[in-house]
Amino acid sequence: MSAYITLMTPMTNQEILLAALTDMGFQRDQIEVHAEAVQLVGYGGERRSQTANIVIRRRHVGTASNDLGFLATPTGYQLQVSDYDRHHYGDDWVRRLNDRYRQHEAIVQERLAEAERRRLEEERRHLVEAQRLGVLARAKQLGYQVKETREGDTVRLVLLKRTY
Amino acid sequence: MRLNLARTLDRSAANGPGERYVLWVQGCTLACPGCWNPDTWPRVRRDERTIDEIEREILSVPNIEGVTFTGGEPFQQAPALAALASRVRAHGLSVVVFTGYDLAELRSAAAHSLLAVTDILIAGRYIAAQSTTDLPLRGSANQQIHMLTDRYTTSTTTGPPTCEVHIGADGTLILTGFPPPELLGHPADP
Repeated sequence: MSAYITLMTPMTNQEILLAALTDMGFQRDQIEVHAEAVQLVGYGGERRSQTANIVIRRRHVGTASNDLGFLATPTGYQLQVSDYDRHHYGDDWVRRLNDRYRQHEAIVQERLAEAERRRLEEERRHLVEAQRLGVLARAKQLGYQVKETREGDTVRLVLLKRTY
Repeated sequence: MRLNLARTLDRSAANGPGERYVLWVQGCTLACPGCWNPDTWPRVRRDERTIDEIEREILSVPNIEGVTFTGGEPFQQAPALAALASRVRAHGLSVVVFTGYDLAELRSAAAHSLLAVTDILIAGRYIAAQSTTDLPLRGSANQQIHMLTDRYTTSTTTGPPTCEVHIGADGTLILTGFPPPELLGHPADP
């Protein structure tokens, strides 16, 4: 029976880790996700004491392999890998997995930043439009004729007082 | 030579003839009650710039008729404004100055140097009791318009009164010209 070892990783985001694992060659339906960590299963079908939240069953890992798992911890997922499988899924594999993770993380962060930019821009447009409508309504009440122009992002309202 | 500014506006149609670059100076000891721009009263350093810098900025604005000095009190920074006015006039721009002083009060050599390069002077304290939005270029009815050169005729200053609202990209409002307080949703003075 091959002993399990634990490899620490700095990866903390489940969705990004799943995306990185698919980049590394696993199909998405080969990866189990569990809210509560489940026991891993060894080569002989025996339940092992090691648990994981993300599990790739041994049949997808390789001939004569044991389950591969990632246990969620506050400081990052811990890879649970058997000594037997470590030759293939060891430090170098984790490094490559982490590279993929960082790339996906950068994409996600850029997407979030873009969404935030869009939200702020929408907020800004609403504010400018509310100001514009407020001034126009009051100008009308006060008997001004209004000529509106835009210069870049600035709205310019020239208010002409009717004197007739 | 340096000027202490409160703010500038690249383009306005509510501060004299045509499209104008407007420059509000910082600092005014007259402190007329009811003044629209009390933030420009303190004589503290706010946006200090050389007249070289301001001249470059003014000349970079296309298709303007001239510049307008207001404030704050322009005649309390008369030497630097006179130098700036002289330079922009050399490029064909006209000069309008709004002052809280009456023309008769402007006797100093520095004041005369600015008057000498001013086309239109709007002079006199703002008197809240005589506040008006019906007279062009004046905030209160006591103020006088003086045509100091023959560049403009009096018909230039008899058009309908205007005011202008600039809504910035961040939603900030700049109100210029001679607007009634209600325009910003403020109640009128009793």
